[in-house]
Amino acid sequence: MSVLNIKDVSKIFPGGTRAVDTFSLDVADGELVCLLGPSGSGKSTLLRMVGGFETPTSGQMTIDGDDITHVPPERRPTGMVFQSHALWTHMNVFKNLAFGLKLRKVAPAEIKRRVEAVLELVGLGGYGTRAVTQLSGGQQQRVALARSLVLEPKILLLDEPFASLDQHLRERLREEVRDIQQRLKITTLFVTHGQDEALSMADRIVVMRDGKTEQIDRPDIVYREPRTPFVAGFIGTMNLIEGTVANGVFSKAGYSTPVPVADGPATQAIRPEALELTLATDNAQGKVHRVTDFGTHGLVDLELLDSTRIKAMVSHPGLFQPGQGVALAPKAIAAYRDDILIHRGALTPEIAARRETIDA
Amino acid sequence: MTTDTAGSVSPVQPHRGRPIGLLLVAVPVLMVVWLIIWPIISAVITTLWVKTPEGDIFSIETYRFFFSDGYSLSNLGMTLWTTGVCAILLLVVCLPIALYLRFADSRIAAYVQGLAIFPMFVPSIILSFAFIRVLGPNGTVDLVLNAVGMPKIRSPYLTPWGPVIGLVWDNIPLTVLILLSGLGSVSNQAIEAARDVGAGKIAVLWHIILPRISNSILVAISFAVLGIFSAFTLPYVLGPAAPEMMGPFMQRTFRELFEPQTAITQAVVTFAFCIVFGLFYVYSVAKNRAP
Ligand SMILES: Nc1ncnc2c1ncn2[C@@H]1O[C@H](COP(=O)(O)OP(=O)(O)O)[C@@H](O)[C@H]1O
Ligand SMILES: [Mg+2]
Repeated sequence: MSVLNIKDVSKIFPGGTRAVDTFSLDVADGELVCLLGPSGSGKSTLLRMVGGFETPTSGQMTIDGDDITHVPPERRPTGMVFQSHALWTHMNVFKNLAFGLKLRKVAPAEIKRRVEAVLELVGLGGYGTRAVTQLSGGQQQRVALARSLVLEPKILLLDEPFASLDQHLRERLREEVRDIQQRLKITTLFVTHGQDEALSMADRIVVMRDGKTEQIDRPDIVYREPRTPFVAGFIGTMNLIEGTVANGVFSKAGYSTPVPVADGPATQAIRPEALELTLATDNAQGKVHRVTDFGTHGLVDLELLDSTRIKAMVSHPGLFQPGQGVALAPKAIAAYRDDILIHRGALTPEIAARRETIDA
Repeated sequence: MTTDTAGSVSPVQPHRGRPIGLLLVAVPVLMVVWLIIWPIISAVITTLWVKTPEGDIFSIETYRFFFSDGYSLSNLGMTLWTTGVCAILLLVVCLPIALYLRFADSRIAAYVQGLAIFPMFVPSIILSFAFIRVLGPNGTVDLVLNAVGMPKIRSPYLTPWGPVIGLVWDNIPLTVLILLSGLGSVSNQAIEAARDVGAGKIAVLWHIILPRISNSILVAISFAVLGIFSAFTLPYVLGPAAPEMMGPFMQRTFRELFEPQTAITQAVVTFAFCIVFGLFYVYSVAKNRAP
């Protein structure tokens, strides 16, 4: 039963780097929030401030209402899992887990019981006597997770814990961590720069850029309704087309769609799966550049008339050949101006049909 | 043609390489035998074959004398005491310095490091002279205390503490450097993880840092002990006339008393102690590395 509140927290490093800039976030009890952003966007710095390893330059953090802004890490009810496991190599697995409990003067029998239970939980039952250097990378990260969990922290913090593992293992551990988190209902902050990790694990995603929040939302909303072109480009694959709007029609080099916004420059965003292609000979809006067959679907790389590259997902890649002319029929679009979402909507056949009339 | 040359050249190389390799190994081995092993053996032989009017006979008389002579034994005891006290003081002084240098990220750390390494570049004889000027009778400390009206302190000059102070100062750089290299292998994340599970500064030092640098401590102390045990200049200049450390003792026995065989016996005893330290060191390092 723990909530984390972060209010207007900033961190300016001595060199002058503003790593985190007036950041605010409330994490609800039992919630898993992912901090997602490119490298250098301040995710680790924020997490380390919650863990107590960096002191905020300004702002305040509370856990269950208690101000923890200036509490040293050893007295915070947080548990951190580091990017490289950071296990103590001079201790075996059991001792790594027992260390925190010993410091809390827990009775030996109780320590043994709790350590074994947690090892069981992370799927390493019976590994207590192993040296940590004998474990594989994935097992080491599980021990690191267990080491935090055994102390039953109020807030669990993970900083790109799977970054050094291969894709396969990463996906498996991702699911395991999510399972454990939901079983224990532990409030969790998870740092990652991988969008699929965030999309598959998070209750909510915080997209960060240059120490600031770009968007905080549920994964499906972040995916479907990115609030800025940055978020749109960062989550999933997104076609971003720079063009101009005149009389309610967005156009760019022969390609045009109705967008009901005021005249001026705009960026249109279309997911590849929301872009329908049809072969066209006369009024082609683009040209097929390359077709990739993924088995379940195909991806068509195409060029607009001014060589702008965009992608479209198709169910029958065999229908398209490089060099062919195609007409574009977007089913859902979003438009941005000055980094702000100004329009978002599905294009029903009737609306799309308007393009034809205007074009004509 | 190309295959021919390739085929004929490659088998030749090992034959040509082997003598060169052996030669490369042989040079240092011969040097060690000539300059170290042989002098030791000849020294031991010299002390065991005593010249008598009837010719050379085998005898352990020189060693019997050394270990029954009160003066020799008190010199040996003095040497052991000085070495032990220096080893403890070095750890007490150097560990905090090394910890500070490893974990401080202020600009002052660079100056502290420079200061800690500085004694390495100062010859012992100049160090001794500086010691006398500062801590000796009528030295700087005396003058300052006198000027502010404080009572005179007893100068450590020519007492057993003279060599201790000098030797500790002289050995700080190497000890700090070795400890520092050991601390380099303790990752920040390992320490942060310890603090995360509730370890305060003392617990981190005791449970995380010290176990990880135990080998470095062992190496540092062994180097210091081996150097200090047979030190000459500092004990000679700064120490008391009697009892004296083994270094000056040997020198005086050889040069002033003209008793080369007794001096060599003292040298062999000194060497034996150093060997024991050395073996203990090798044993501990091997034991620490085993698991
Ligand atoms: N200890 C530090 N001193 C100075 N600058 C730092 C320090 N740690 C991080 N930074 C800077 O802060 C910014 C954010 O870093 P970080 O939080 O590690 O980003 P992320 O985890 O998102 O990759 C970067 O520009 C980085 O160079
Ligand atoms: Mg990071």
